[in-house]
Amino acid sequence: MNTVVQKSRFGVAQIILFLSISILVVVVAVPVLLILFNAFWVNGKFNLNDVIRIISEPDTWQALMNSLIIAAGTTVGSTIVGTFFAWLVTRTDLPYKGFMKGMFLVPFMLPSFIGAMAWKMLLSPRAGFINKFFMTYFGLSGPVFNIYSYAGIILVEIMYLFPFVFIQVCGALERMDPTLEESARISGAGLFTITRKITIPLVLPSILSGALLIMLYSMAHFGTVAVLGIENGIFNIPTLIYQRIHQSAGSFSSIRTGTVLATILVLTAAFILWLQGKILSRGHYQIIAGKSFRPMELKLRTLRMPLFIFCIAYIGFTIVLPTVVIFLVGGLKTYGLPFTWENLSLENYKFILFKYKVTRDAIWNSVTLGLSAAVITMFAGVMISYVIVKMKVRGKGILEFLGMLPFSVPGSVIALGVILAWSGKYGVNLYNTVWIILVAYIARYMAFSLRANSAALEQVHDSLMEAARVCGASMWQTLKDIVLPLVRPGMLASFFLIFLPSLRELTVSIMLYAPTTRTIGVAIYTLNEDGETVVSAALAGIALIIIVTGQLLVERFLGKKAHR
Amino acid sequence: MRNKSITLSIVLVSIIVMIFCGAAFAKDSLIIYTSMKESLIGGIVEGFIVKYPDVAVDYQSAGAGKLMAKIAAERESGKILADIIWTSEVPDFYSMRKEGILEQYNTPLINEILNPFDDYDGHFTAARLGTLGIAINTDLIKTPPAQWSDLFKPEYKGAFGIADPALSGTSFMSVGMLEKQFGWEFFEKLHANQARIGKGSGQVVDDTASGELAASLAVDYITNDKITKGAHIALYYPPELLMAPSPIAIFKGSPNLEAAKKFVDYLLSHEAQVLIAGEGTLSVRTDVSNQEGFMLPEASEVLARAIKIDYIDMMGRKEELIKKFTDVLQGRK
Repeated sequence: MNTVVQKSRFGVAQIILFLSISILVVVVAVPVLLILFNAFWVNGKFNLNDVIRIISEPDTWQALMNSLIIAAGTTVGSTIVGTFFAWLVTRTDLPYKGFMKGMFLVPFMLPSFIGAMAWKMLLSPRAGFINKFFMTYFGLSGPVFNIYSYAGIILVEIMYLFPFVFIQVCGALERMDPTLEESARISGAGLFTITRKITIPLVLPSILSGALLIMLYSMAHFGTVAVLGIENGIFNIPTLIYQRIHQSAGSFSSIRTGTVLATILVLTAAFILWLQGKILSRGHYQIIAGKSFRPMELKLRTLRMPLFIFCIAYIGFTIVLPTVVIFLVGGLKTYGLPFTWENLSLENYKFILFKYKVTRDAIWNSVTLGLSAAVITMFAGVMISYVIVKMKVRGKGILEFLGMLPFSVPGSVIALGVILAWSGKYGVNLYNTVWIILVAYIARYMAFSLRANSAALEQVHDSLMEAARVCGASMWQTLKDIVLPLVRPGMLASFFLIFLPSLRELTVSIMLYAPTTRTIGVAIYTLNEDGETVVSAALAGIALIIIVTGQLLVERFLGKKAHR
Repeated sequence: MRNKSITLSIVLVSIIVMIFCGAAFAKDSLIIYTSMKESLIGGIVEGFIVKYPDVAVDYQSAGAGKLMAKIAAERESGKILADIIWTSEVPDFYSMRKEGILEQYNTPLINEILNPFDDYDGHFTAARLGTLGIAINTDLIKTPPAQWSDLFKPEYKGAFGIADPALSGTSFMSVGMLEKQFGWEFFEKLHANQARIGKGSGQVVDDTASGELAASLAVDYITNDKITKGAHIALYYPPELLMAPSPIAIFKGSPNLEAAKKFVDYLLSHEAQVLIAGEGTLSVRTDVSNQEGFMLPEASEVLARAIKIDYIDMMGRKEELIKKFTDVLQGRK
C-alpha cells in the first residue's frame, strides 16, 4: 500500500482518516479529557493538592479501598473457581463435559445486578428464603449468611465473573501440545512435577490475563455493589460517583469528586491493561501449538462421581436457583407471600408488558438504543479498524492511540464524561434526552467493535486489495467489493457483541436517564429501589428471556466461528 | 449473501431513521415530577389523559430527595425539565417559593378543599393529606402498637426501619415532627433498640412485608396497596399523628402552563380525589370520604390530632436534621 499514489491531497484515504479521528475525538477523547481537566484544574489552575484532599476525604478513601478489597477478593476467587472448572472440563474424564462447559459460560449472559437481586431475595439476613428456611426449620437464631457484606458482594461477583478466567484457561488447555507433557512423563516425571513444571507455566499467562480482566471489570463494576452494598454503606468507586452525581444536586464539588474518582479508575484500568499486554507478550510462555491434539485425560476414578455431583450442584446453586427465584418472585402478588399456587399469577408480567408505561418505555428504549448504537458503532468500528490495520497514512499514530482509549475507560467514567461534554456548557445540550445515552453507548461499545473488526481485517491479506488496485479498481471499489464482503462476519459479530449487552446495560444509563428515557436496566434497578420488588423481578425475568433468546439466536445463526 | 446483507443494512438504517424521526416529532408533553408511587400517580395520569386527550403527559416517580437533587442539577444547566412538582416534602415548597421558581396559580377549587396551609397564596396547593403510621408484619408482631414508645419493646429489636430522610420526603417530615414532639431522646431510644435506616419509603414497607423488618414507619397508601395485594402487614396510628400534606406546584416558565393548570385542577377535582381515596390515603376534598376497608382516620380528625410543625423553621434546618438523625441512629455522637 506504500506504493499507492494518491491522486489528490484529499482522497478517500484522507476523508476516512479524518472521519475516523473525529468520531473518536468527539465520542471518546473529549469526554475523557474533560474529566481529567475538571479533576486537575481548579479555577483555571493546575492544582494537585486539591486532588489529594479529595482522595483523603473519608468517604472517598473508603470507596477507593472498598473497590480494591472487592476487586482483589473477586479476582482471587474467580481465578481459583475458573481455573479449577476449566481444568475439570478439559483435562479430566468428567461425565457430560460438553454440557458442563456450556453451562459454565451461561453467567456471561446473565446481568450481574439481576443476579445480585436474586441473591438478596435468597440471603438477606432476616427475610432471605434460604436464611428463613434454616431459621424456621433448624432453629438457628441468626442468618446462615448475610449477603449485605463484603463477602456477599465478592461471592456474587465471582459467580458472574469467573467465566473470564474459565474461557481463557479452557482455550489454553485445549490448544496446549500434549506431547510436552508426554515427554516429561516418559522422562520419568510424576504428575505433580509435570503440573508444576509444564502445565502451570504453559497456562499461567492465560490465567493471569483472565484474572486481570476480572480485576479491571470488578474495579469498575456498578450493579452488584449498588444492589447489595449501598444500603449498608458499602460504596465502591462507581457507586459513589453515581450517588454523588445523583443525590447532591449536581453541585460543582460533587462533580469534582466524581472526576477525581473517575481519573483513578481510568489510571487503574490503563495500568491493568498495560500489565496484561506485558504478560501476554512474554514469548517464552507461549509454547502452545496451533494444532489440535487430543489432550491426555486424567482419570478421576473414585472422585469422578463426587466431582460430577459437585459441578451439578454448583450449576444448580449459582445459575438455576437465582433464575428460578427471579421468575417465582416476579409471579407473586406482593413480596413476602409464600410461594403457593393462589399467590402466584402472571399478572405482574402482563402489567409490565401491556399496561405499565415505565416498563414499556424501558423495553422500547433499550431495544432502539441497542439497535442504533450497534449499527452506528459497527460501521464506525469497521472504518476505524480499517485505517488502523490496513492504511498507511500520516496521522495514523493518533488514531491508534485514540483507538486504545475505549478499552480502558469504564462505563461510569464515560457517563460522567458525556454529562460534562453534552449538558450545554459547550453549546450542545443533550442532557435528559435519549441522545446522551446513545452517545455514551457508542463510546462504551466502540472497543467491542474495534476488537471484532480488527480481528476480521487482519485476516484479509493485503495482496487481495493490491490485486484489485492493480487491476484498476478505485479505492472505493476495492473497499466495497473486496474488503467489506470479507469482513462481514466480523461486522455482524460486532453488531451482536454490542446489541445484546446494551439490552442489559445499567452502569451508563443509570447516570443519564430522564423520566422517559429509562432503559430496562434502569427500570429494574429503580423499581427494586422503590420497594416494588415483585414488579422489578418480573421485568428482570422478561429481560432474561429477551437476552437469552437473543444469545441463542446469535449462536445459531452466526455459528461459533463468527461469534468469538 | 450480498443481497441479503444489503437488505439487512437497509432495514437497519431505516429503523434508525424511524427512531430519529420519532424522537424529533414527539409531542411536547407535560412533565410531572412526583414522589407518589406508581399505584397512585399512574391512575391519576390515566384519568387526566382520558379527560384531556390532546395533552401528552410524562411523569417521573422517585423519592423527594432525588427529585430535588435532579431539579437543582437542571437549574444549574439552565432549564428545569419538569412543569409540575408534587411531593410530600413541604419545606421544599417553602424554599422553592422563596427562591421564586414557582408559578402562582390560585386555583378556583380552593374553596372546595381542606387547606392545611395558613399562608396559602397560590404558589402551591395541598392535593392529598398523607398520613404515616407504624406498619407491622402481622406474622412477626402479634400485639399491635398503640404508642410510639411501644417501638422500644424487645419485639422490635433490630427490626424497626425508617426510610432515609435524605431520600424520602415523608420520612424527613416525620423525623421533624417526632423530634418536635418527643425530642432527640426518642431517636436515641430507637437506636438503643437497634432501629435501622432503610432506603426509600416504598422499600421499608416491602421489607416489612417480606419480614426483613418487623415494622416500619410507613406511608398510608403504600402500605394499603400492599395490604390489598395480600401482604401480611397492618397499619396502626399512635395518638400523636404524623400528617404530611402533599403540595403540588407549577414551575415558573413552564412551556405548558395551560396544561399544567388543567392538571392541578384535575387533581383537585372530585374525580381524581376519589381515585386518591381509593388508593388508601386521605383526600383533601370535603366531599370525598375515606374508602371503606382501609384503617384510616378521618381527615378532620387528622387535622386535629396531627403534630403541628413550623414548615419555614424546618426548611432552614433540613441538613442539620438529617445529619443529626443519621448520627443518632448510627450511634455517632
